[in-house]
Order: sequence, then structure tokens, then C-alpha cells
Amino acid sequence: MQVTEAFKHAFLKQMLLGFQASAVSTKSMGFQERKNAIKLSADVAMAVARGSRKWTRGLIAGLSEERQNRSFLRLILGEQYESLLKPCHSSWKIPRCKKIVRRSLRVCWRKQKKNQSGVLARTLVEKRTQELKRLVPGGESMDGSSLLDETLDYVLSLRAQVDLMQSLLTTFEASKLRSHSKRRLPERKASYVSK
Amino acid sequence: MQCLRAPLSDLSALEGQRACAEWQQPGQEQSDYHPYDADYCMQSLCPVETAFRALHGCNGGGENENHGNVHGSNDCFSNAWPDIVSSMHCPVVGAAASVEETSVNASSSSSSRKRKSENNRRSKENSGGSDGKDDSNCKRIKEETGVGAATPEAKRPNKRKEESADASKENDKAPKSDYIHVRRERISQRMKYLQDLVPGCSKITGKAGMLDEIINYVQSLQRQVEFLSMKLAAVNPMMDINIDSLFGGREINPTCKSASIPMIGMSSGAIDQSYLQFGSLQHDMFMGSSDLLLRPNVNPAAAVSDTSLGSCLNVNGSSVWNTNLQNVYGVEFQLGRGTALPFQSLQGNLLPNNLKMEM
Repeated sequence: MQVTEAFKHAFLKQMLLGFQASAVSTKSMGFQERKNAIKLSADVAMAVARGSRKWTRGLIAGLSEERQNRSFLRLILGEQYESLLKPCHSSWKIPRCKKIVRRSLRVCWRKQKKNQSGVLARTLVEKRTQELKRLVPGGESMDGSSLLDETLDYVLSLRAQVDLMQSLLTTFEASKLRSHSKRRLPERKASYVSK
Repeated sequence: MQCLRAPLSDLSALEGQRACAEWQQPGQEQSDYHPYDADYCMQSLCPVETAFRALHGCNGGGENENHGNVHGSNDCFSNAWPDIVSSMHCPVVGAAASVEETSVNASSSSSSRKRKSENNRRSKENSGGSDGKDDSNCKRIKEETGVGAATPEAKRPNKRKEESADASKENDKAPKSDYIHVRRERISQRMKYLQDLVPGCSKITGKAGMLDEIINYVQSLQRQVEFLSMKLAAVNPMMDINIDSLFGGREINPTCKSASIPMIGMSSGAIDQSYLQFGSLQHDMFMGSSDLLLRPNVNPAAAVSDTSLGSCLNVNGSSVWNTNLQNVYGVEFQLGRGTALPFQSLQGNLLPNNLKMEM
């Protein structure tokens, strides 16, 4: 199971564009501010590169709730920003599912009245489902199976995000070290040439 | 200075390639494929694969693209990236699917046909992750004999047989109970998929335990992102990436992503074409880096960042980064890789010997 190369490429590009847009490397900002800007860039890049999914919409909606992020979002997303914030049509299906789920639970409850452990197991699952809904962006408005689906997608994207940021980090650190060594080079070069 | 790269991605790359090879043989024709043609879905054994093919291009970020065209590239597309547009069109598909489902249930009798109808039903359902489940199903046909191999599903075949028997008798209750059991089966399929994804979950069989592991994994990934962004913030003040030169002066607005898609679609065989395309890009990069180097104040790290980014991502051991970045950086990537000193190539024969001595 693997993300596509197109996704990785788009992700990287979007992230670098985001860094440029928020000018993390040039502006003088506090450490916390810079960290937040980087994380925002990374999250938006992930959502944009993935395309339109429930969790990407939920993620952008969550990010846009904070006012400081909105200008950045508008800049990066352009006209897609407005369309992404619109509610998805599929959310209309949820009420119907809930009715059927309730009826099915009643049926299952009657069947498994004697089986207490089944009830316990179901409540445990329910609790964990609730927690997962909190973790996955936009998770509250999902039903069980689509929640798992979005979780799967989200986990893949998160992994790609972590890999990408890790490699960026090592690149920057490597070039930083090289720049330190290069600063010493002109002096050495001068000394060599003079000889 | 080694980057700790999860071995998972390498393994999964191989798996993905194998899956691609598996899936490319059947159903080569896509000319008459319409993703939302219910009849077509019914006929094909594995509608999954054609759906992935048709929508491979969408992964590049085109949210509203839904063409039947296939890029024809052999790079591995994931089993888990479902149809983006299907999530938008789900009401339409769901309505059609419910009509088809009942008719299918009434007619199917043999087990093989049942399985096919379930596959079709699943493929028509709301979320496209079910397609991934079909994939995993067909892939693991050695592991599973039919559908009833896994423990959570052991009870289900019996229940389903009862239900289908009931369905033929009482058509009123059929849609409801079928719906429930189909849902449960879908959920278990996805749990299995997640089980493969989350490391260290092969032993856990219960739903609650699995969910626990998934929650922990998601939390740990999110924490990792926080931590990495913190580290990047610490490193970042030194960096001055010239994005314009990197990407050929493209705008920030992602609507011009169409320009990047031909770049992505290129395999190693088409590198000449990419060089032609990025001739100007290469020029920009050389100009940019030479400017940066000649200016005394500017941090030479900027010029290094182009090649070191490429070389470092190369160090990670995944050649897949390599091919794409080659397309981005063009010739400079190759020039810079061996020496990692861009100004060596720029300044020609003036200093190479000196530099070599120094290094």
C-alpha cells in the first residue's frame, strides 16, 4: 500500500510554495510562529495534493476556523478555497443511515439480550470510534465504514507527510553544514592561490 | 548523516508494483468504460482496476477531473486511493446501487455469483475504499478461501446465507438486513486493510483492539509532524530556497498544476523530452545559482539546496523520488550529484583542480 508519486511530488511542491508564501525563511518571526507557519504549510500541502476527500475538506475547514490562517489559505487555494468550504453532498445521506442503524441496533439488541459481553464490546468499540472521529479531521460527520475509509487515506497521507518533512529536514541540515564548510573555503582558496 | 527512512515505504513500493502488474493484465480495454455505468460494473469481475486506472491522473490534484483517459504510465498507483469524484457523485451512485442490489439479490443463487454481486455492490457503494478492499481480497485469494476465512467473518457467511434465504421469502426485510450485514462486512474488510497499514497489528483480531492501535498510530504520526515542524523551524532561518528557479517560475496558485502533470507522467525513457521542456528551467537555475554565488552577501546554501535536496532525497534510498526530481531539476541534478558543488560546473575550468585539492 503506497501513495502515488504524483501525490508526493505535488505535496513537496505545495509545501515549498507554502513556505515561500508564508516567507518562513526570510521574515523575522518568533520560533513558535515559524513552527506554526511550517505546520500550516505542510497540512495545507497535504490536503491540496490529496484532492477532495472528506478528511481534506475537514482539515481545511478546521484550519480556516482560526483567523490567522485564513489569508494564507486564500492565497494558496485561490478560488478553490470557497468551494472547499461548502458542505459535501454525501453528508445528506447520514440521517438515513442513522435511522437504519438504530433499527438494526434494536434488532441486534433483542437477539443478543443474553449476550452481555457483546454489549460491552460494542460500547468499547463505540468509545474508540468516537475518539477516532476526533482525531481524523472532519470525522464527526462520518459513519462507521466511511470513517475507516477516511482513516486509511489519512494515515497514508500522514505517513507521506512525515517522510517528506524528514527528508526536507535532513536536506536542510546537510546544506547548512555544507554552507558552513564552504564559508571556510574562500579563505583556503585564497591561501592556495597565493602560493 | 543518514536519514532514517521507514523500510515500510520501500516494501510497499514493491507490493504496489506487484499489484500493478497483477491488475494490468485483465481488462485492458478502457474505451467503453464509464465509471458510473452500473451495467459495466456488473459485467466486469474487477471494476476496481479500471477505476484506479481512469483516476490515476486525478491524484495529481485535479479535483474535478474525471476523464476515462489513462496516462499509461507504469508507476505504481496505490490500491487505496479511491475515486475522488465518486465521493461527490455518491448520491447518484447510491440510488442506482440500491435498485440494482435488490434485483441482484433476487437473481443470484450460486456462491460465485454471490461473490461477484457483493464485489459489484461494494464497488458501487459510497466510499471508494471498498475498491481497495476488493483489491486486497483478490490479492489475498491464497490466504482466504472465499469470504469466510477471517474470524470476524466466520459467522457472517452463515448469517448471510440465512439472510439471503430470508430475502427470497420476505422482500420487505431484505434491503434492511442485507444493508446491515453488507455494512458490517465492509467494516471488517477495512479493518483488515488498516491492519496491514498500521505496524504491529497482525496479532490483534478484535475490533476494539484494532481501533485502539489505529488511534495510537494516528496520534503518533500527528505528534511526529509537530516535532518535525519544530525542527524545521529551528533549521529554517538559514535556508533561502529560490522556488522560482526550482519550478520554472510557476505561480503559487495551484490551478496551473496542469503544467506539472506532463512532468509527472514522464518515465525515465522520456528524459530527453523533459530536458527540452526544462531547457529554460535549467537556464533559470544556472542563472539563479550563479547570481547567488557571485553575490558575496547571499548564503551559498541556497544554491546548494537544489542539488543537496536531490542528493539527500536520493540518500534515503528511494529511487522514486529520484526520477521525479530529475524531471524537476533537469540536467543540473546529474551535474550536481557527484560533486554537490554547483559552482564547480558553473565556473568551468577555472577552479576545479583547486577545489578538488581542497576537498
